[in-house]
Amino acid sequence: MRSEQELMDELKEMYPQYPSKEFKSSTEKLLRMKARDLEKKRKIIRFTTIISSGVFVSIFIFCLLILEREGINHTFGQSAQTLSKPLVYIYHTHNRESYFPELDAQKEKMTAVSETKNVTLVGKRLSKALNDMQINAIHDNTDIFGVLEKYNKHYPEAYTFSGYYLKKALEENESIQMVFDIHRDSSSRSDSTIEINGKSYAKIQFIVSEISIHYEQNKQFAVQLHEQLEQRYPGLSRGVIEKGERTANTYNQDIHENSLLLNIGGVENSLEETYRTADILAEVINDTLKKSK
Amino acid sequence: MFDSPNLESKIVEIYNLHYLDVYRFLIYFMGNQNDAEDLTQEVFIRVLKSLPKFNSNYPLKTWILSIAKHVAIDHYRKRRFTALFKEGFFKQLSSSDKKPDEEFEITETKRLIHGAIATLKPDFRAVVILRGINEFSVSETAAVLQCSMAKVKVDYHRALKILKKKLNIEIEGALTNAK
Repeated sequence: MRSEQELMDELKEMYPQYPSKEFKSSTEKLLRMKARDLEKKRKIIRFTTIISSGVFVSIFIFCLLILEREGINHTFGQSAQTLSKPLVYIYHTHNRESYFPELDAQKEKMTAVSETKNVTLVGKRLSKALNDMQINAIHDNTDIFGVLEKYNKHYPEAYTFSGYYLKKALEENESIQMVFDIHRDSSSRSDSTIEINGKSYAKIQFIVSEISIHYEQNKQFAVQLHEQLEQRYPGLSRGVIEKGERTANTYNQDIHENSLLLNIGGVENSLEETYRTADILAEVINDTLKKSK
Repeated sequence: MFDSPNLESKIVEIYNLHYLDVYRFLIYFMGNQNDAEDLTQEVFIRVLKSLPKFNSNYPLKTWILSIAKHVAIDHYRKRRFTALFKEGFFKQLSSSDKKPDEEFEITETKRLIHGAIATLKPDFRAVVILRGINEFSVSETAAVLQCSMAKVKVDYHRALKILKKKLNIEIEGALTNAK
């Protein structure tokens, strides 16, 4: 009788070793769709659990953070001794969100997440543009993702961590008038890009949480920025999106009246395109600050 | 932004890394490409649904394959394997460049071997496929099947014995008939 190896070799040859090509791509599509649906449902559940457990969790985390504060890479951007008091605070809850055209590594390309080339650079650009206009902006480039990993926490808790730093910054700098959490979304290039005078720009979107205690003010602030963008560069803003019951949390918008979550560009934009948008946003912020004086 | 691209990109990444393992497990279990593809899809839908609960201390690959095993066995319970075998098996042997004589020989051997595997009980079949065909280690196989390493060794040994016995008898039988 044949040996075990022969038998197995024969068995192996019996069937096609690869599924069909159409299968591969159609299954991937199906999974993407299901993941999105699932995420929506999960958010409802998460919302209720977060409300109930939020207080305990945050007390616990804050204790941890105070103890570990020294070890966390938490540097502020431009030191602006010559400028007036800080007026704008820029941070990134999902700091590793990145842009496909900037990535080389295959693994990064699959997830559009990068440790180095990520949305933090967009925030840095915005703070630089503001500082150039003599507006003191604090850019917090804390690697929230790294902090989550360190404490073995889940992604939805990122807002608790970034909110912690935000609160601390606000305590230390009462002069801060605007707070921006900059993200990128996953929309396709056609939705996230606009051509203005022959140059392509990453579109910008304002997210307002309906469950924030400052909802009215948050929204008013978002609409104001949107309208100013519309006046200067029509179409650059994708408008104000309100996230209601399904949101996991308030995106730290209950911490400050003028706190907004911004999406600058989608996965298919280049950093250059987001930088152009950041520069324009700086102009608009400058205008708004002048008006409020 | 938010968490959706996270779950979405995560499942896509996992799928791309592991679909071949899953498919190659299921193709031997099911005996035809169509069913193997359908069930591969089913496996990753289950993976997606359980992903938030997944304990990351556990190796991802074995976790996914244990889901594949459950999916395969569930399917087996729904439809009797023999019926499945008849339907799917011949469909896929239709095209070949071989001459009619050679083709007959190959299909005949294939039919015998697959028939022998198909009559193994599902647990044995899973062990044979994982250990023998997919070349998983004893510990990996044990993790997938959620049993002890000793059971894997014993089951594999027994399954091979049954398989060899069946094939000896059947191949001899086939040859006498042919003469």
